Amino acid sequence: MKSIFLIIRNITFIALALGSIVSCSKDDDITPDPIPMETESRWITVAAARMGENPGDGNGGTLLYSISSEDAKDPTVSIAPFDNGFIAPSNRTARLQSSEDGNTIFNISYAGDTGGNYTKYTVEGGQNFTPTGSEVSIAPYVGSAPRWIKLFDGDKTGAAVYVSTEHEIDDNDTPDDVTDDIYVRTDAKIGIVTLDLVNSSIKEFQEHSVPLTAEEEANGYYFSRIDMPVLNAAGDKIYIGARLSKVNPETAESDSGYEILGSKTIVLDYPSLLNPTVITSSVGHGNTNGYRSINAFLYNGSVYQANQSDPEGSHILKIGSDNQYDDSYDFNLDEALGVEGAYILAWRPAENGKAVLAYRHDGSAEGVAGAQGFFALVDLEAKTAEKINDIPYDPDFYLFQYQGFVVDGNEIYLTQAPVGENGNIYVVDTETGVVTKGAELVNVEGSHFIGTF
Amino acid sequence: MKINNNFLVPLFCMVLLTTSYELTAQVNKLSGFVFGPSNEPLVGASVIVDGTQLGTVTDVHGAFQITDIKNGEYTISTSYIGYKTESKKIAVHADTQVKFNLMENAAELSMVVIQGTTEKTKIEKEGFAVDIIDTKEAGQRNIQTNELLNSSVGVKIRQNGGLGSNVEYSLNGLSGSAVRIFIDGIPISTFGSSFNLNSIPPSMIDRIEIYKGVVPGHLSDDALGGAINIVLKSSTNNHLNASVSYGSFNTLQASFNGLYRYDNSGFTVKASGFHNYSDNDYKVSGRSVLVTGLGGVQTPITARRFNDAYSSTGGVIQLGYTDVKWADQFYIGYTGSSNYKEIQHGAFMTISPYEGRFTQSEASLVNLSYQKQDLFTKDLDLTINGYYGKRNTQVIDTVTWAYNWAGERAIDFRGNEYKYSWGSQQEGGPTEARIDRNVASIRTGLSYSINDHHKILFNHVHNRIDREDSDKLRSVLENTFLGTRDLYKNIVALTYEVNAFDERLKTSLFGKYYQQKTISVDPAIEIGSDGVKKIVDEVVSSNKINNGYGFALSYAIIPEITLLTSAEKAVRLPNETEIFGSDGDNVVANSSINPELSKNFNLGFRFGSFKLNNHQLVVTTNLFTRNIKDRIGLPIETSLNVDDELILYVNQGSGTSKGIDLQFNYTYNKKLFFNFNVSKFDLKIENRGVEIDVPNTPFHTMNANLQYSFKDLIQKKSKLDLFYSLSFTDEFSYIVPQGSNTVGDDFFKVPNQLAQDLGVSYTLPKKDIVVSFDVKNIFDKPVYDNLSVQKPGRAFYLKLNYSIYKF
Repeated sequence: MKSIFLIIRNITFIALALGSIVSCSKDDDITPDPIPMETESRWITVAAARMGENPGDGNGGTLLYSISSEDAKDPTVSIAPFDNGFIAPSNRTARLQSSEDGNTIFNISYAGDTGGNYTKYTVEGGQNFTPTGSEVSIAPYVGSAPRWIKLFDGDKTGAAVYVSTEHEIDDNDTPDDVTDDIYVRTDAKIGIVTLDLVNSSIKEFQEHSVPLTAEEEANGYYFSRIDMPVLNAAGDKIYIGARLSKVNPETAESDSGYEILGSKTIVLDYPSLLNPTVITSSVGHGNTNGYRSINAFLYNGSVYQANQSDPEGSHILKIGSDNQYDDSYDFNLDEALGVEGAYILAWRPAENGKAVLAYRHDGSAEGVAGAQGFFALVDLEAKTAEKINDIPYDPDFYLFQYQGFVVDGNEIYLTQAPVGENGNIYVVDTETGVVTKGAELVNVEGSHFIGTF
Repeated sequence: MKINNNFLVPLFCMVLLTTSYELTAQVNKLSGFVFGPSNEPLVGASVIVDGTQLGTVTDVHGAFQITDIKNGEYTISTSYIGYKTESKKIAVHADTQVKFNLMENAAELSMVVIQGTTEKTKIEKEGFAVDIIDTKEAGQRNIQTNELLNSSVGVKIRQNGGLGSNVEYSLNGLSGSAVRIFIDGIPISTFGSSFNLNSIPPSMIDRIEIYKGVVPGHLSDDALGGAINIVLKSSTNNHLNASVSYGSFNTLQASFNGLYRYDNSGFTVKASGFHNYSDNDYKVSGRSVLVTGLGGVQTPITARRFNDAYSSTGGVIQLGYTDVKWADQFYIGYTGSSNYKEIQHGAFMTISPYEGRFTQSEASLVNLSYQKQDLFTKDLDLTINGYYGKRNTQVIDTVTWAYNWAGERAIDFRGNEYKYSWGSQQEGGPTEARIDRNVASIRTGLSYSINDHHKILFNHVHNRIDREDSDKLRSVLENTFLGTRDLYKNIVALTYEVNAFDERLKTSLFGKYYQQKTISVDPAIEIGSDGVKKIVDEVVSSNKINNGYGFALSYAIIPEITLLTSAEKAVRLPNETEIFGSDGDNVVANSSINPELSKNFNLGFRFGSFKLNNHQLVVTTNLFTRNIKDRIGLPIETSLNVDDELILYVNQGSGTSKGIDLQFNYTYNKKLFFNFNVSKFDLKIENRGVEIDVPNTPFHTMNANLQYSFKDLIQKKSKLDLFYSLSFTDEFSYIVPQGSNTVGDDFFKVPNQLAQDLGVSYTLPKKDIVVSFDVKNIFDKPVYDNLSVQKPGRAFYLKLNYSIYKF
């Protein structure tokens, strides 16, 4: 059976039909869909994060369950991934990616004995995810809890990054006298590895010391975390999002309450991963490394990047085809949404430049797992954002760990469910703004859903 | 020797030690030994002073002691099963010593009637949920102290690899800092990782007391889930034991302990020492034991661990006086130990084994101990035990090259040997971090028996740890601004013991007062009025006070059925990291954090011993619940705190553990011994209204031990013992329980484990030499303790013991 699936998996229409039979025959919870699927149907894989120790921590296992896009849009369909799903092999919340057609799920195990292991699965409906290809680990290059993302190059490449830091101190040749010691800078060494997703092998790995300006370094700033690599339109540069931290240069101890610098991105040649440079925005301040969901996307020749922890509220920043921040593009979410302290938790544009964006703000209620989240419909060209009111919100609706949106044409699929309560798949037509309530998501205590793939 | 008879106020000890005083000796003490024909100690022999109510039984060294004998002439009789009863006429006008050598009586051997009570049985009948492990037999075999604990009911050892690896102890499901471990009542944190249950051989230990849930006043500490007390040998008989063991994985273990007492002066020299070494190069395999080739292609292998060696050496020497007028025991001593342990991997076995990462630690402590019964007045007993010294721990990780499980330099996808980006084996960067601690711990106990039925006990323990961190690989500037942490703990316990109805009812009521002061000193730079930079210390302190109380009760419903029940409101004070945070992990201080509290209940029965002809049976069972409140933990990462330097420990949620322990002991004709125990519990925690089963918890374990003794098998008067033991751990998962129909669960499961060991010991006729051979894990089954970390497979060990009891 497995080999049959492998042979025909590119013939979407047959695969979907077969997959649907498999899922129906193996699982009683899903309402059978007798209508043969149309060719534009695709798999929607729902990701669910079970509670570990605390409600909403998502550390109790990441579960996957796939249904057809027709079923996903059908509010009479009900699925229960926590009871019937496939548990992704990851010690902590798995960081998942899917192929553009939804037929393959890519996973790199996060922490634990197999942390850093890359595996891919053919999606066959329901709880059926068949491992394909050989296993490879990126742990030797970027550690066992890697920050990785799939690049948008036709599902060919994944990239993962790591940063390690070391404080450099000049003791003025008086090793016993501390008072004349001078903090010089903190060296941030980054490592980046690219992974061949098709052949399950390592493509390239490079390490670089990435300095800031002399003044920034003297003040104690350094790159403390990097994440979310993305390719430019020409495919000759890769951008890496970054977070800055700061030490007190007097004592080399961690500082707090300091001035937040302009948002920064590390730029490397691609595919060689050489020649690091740092670019700085004068529009946005704060981090560009996101959290668990892809934070920067290519649209219409430029890369659009969200930032976080911006004192003025999150921005969407633009990096032009010249690989520099386009500071003429000023898209502030506080202004666009009319809120204070907007914080972009996850987002995803469709090909039309219109995006669905998950956010919280200073007015969010404090729910069981943290600040309440909302969805907005965003237009990158018009720089507008509007809260999507057709999706129900609850104080316990929590989007910090939100990872995935499926883009199917102009439609974007998302999951909605407060921590510990049932919810639904929602499909947003980004062109018209019409929101369709889809399949019911059956939840369990303390747990939540982290998106669609 | 009666460990819970002695208690005291700290002030008292100062007064007593510095003031000379005279005893009005109206009564005398009679002490001595009961040996067999070859001077082997007879344990549990009864000693009676004819015509009086006085009598006792001998301890594991054959020693006995009868106090309160008035001047006069007496007939002392001693008897032991299988030996002829012997009597001696003795004139007692001062403290007197007497020795018996009993002859074997073959005829009596078939009539087994056991009378008298051993220390073990005595403690076990006090009402606490307690297990006493007698180490006499294990001390002669190739058995580690930790293995001994692990086979005890309700106890589970989680060890991260082979001999010398990190160990965590779980009592009825509660583990980590909820379980306090003591050596002679002194918290093990005083001794550090070089003098601990990994390194101390069972032959240095007299017995191990395991108190579950409810801890008696004389061991008081903030032990939320229970306490394990290692009682080192303390008999005052002249003896010398030495042993050496060698076996698989180049494991060598040697130990000795001896005591010599000058009868005239009472001057006593006592010394013990140990040395352990193991390569721990046992075979491992599994999904992460691989070698990576070009492009990252993985080939699974069976590998030998190559960076796991362990070495520890230590010793105790004590000089003083025993059984003299002014002291039963008075010692001044020195304890020194050092430890070296290579680290093969982190919490999990991953595809990147460590090379060259290791820890080393040293401890150097001076010790003072004093014991006196009938101090100043009859029935006032005093015990003092104190340690003061230094200890340090260092973690070294400076090798930058990557290694694979074949023990060779690993190659990257291009085929080149490579260095880790983070410059060390464990992610996080190279380290030579060193923690230096000054430690002091003193426990004092005073007890007073009002009459035969009422007793008051007072106990105080003071514990102090000053901690300083440094890292050679960091600059002086960075090291200077690492803070120091000092912790002082005072715990006072008051216990009232009653026994009534002809000893059928025994109760003990206790209250405990906890005080903990923690001080953090963080140096900071300040610019003085003269414009010159200077370093000033920012001092923050926190003082926590709490109370606890509890009781233990035993009631013999009929002589063969005893009800044992106990309860305690137990407290665990927050530790220094929980209060002050940790610079490295961006955790800041929360001085308002509350202690963890737990209401612990035990309800048990002891059935037995039932005797029928040569059969003897004892069954004990305990039902328990633990109800924890205000568990201390870190909050979850949210968008509000992900970039913060402001994470702090908080009190969050509650937890419960409920379960049953059952133990079954059967003896036939003093030849066949069978012990079986089973333990099962449910451990749940609740956070913000949601309850979950705690993952990575072996909730169901079973152990069985079988021993058969042959006498006169090869040589007359020799003894051959055969041992078989089995330990079973049920399957458990290291993620929380999943839904009914999920797939992929197997990835997280630690499969059920069954290990079986065989052993044989041969005791030569003179009983001075014992040779033991043990095979561990005879069927070479994969065994895991912690998060799927594999433990050694089949292994063989040979041990030679030499003992002299007469000089």
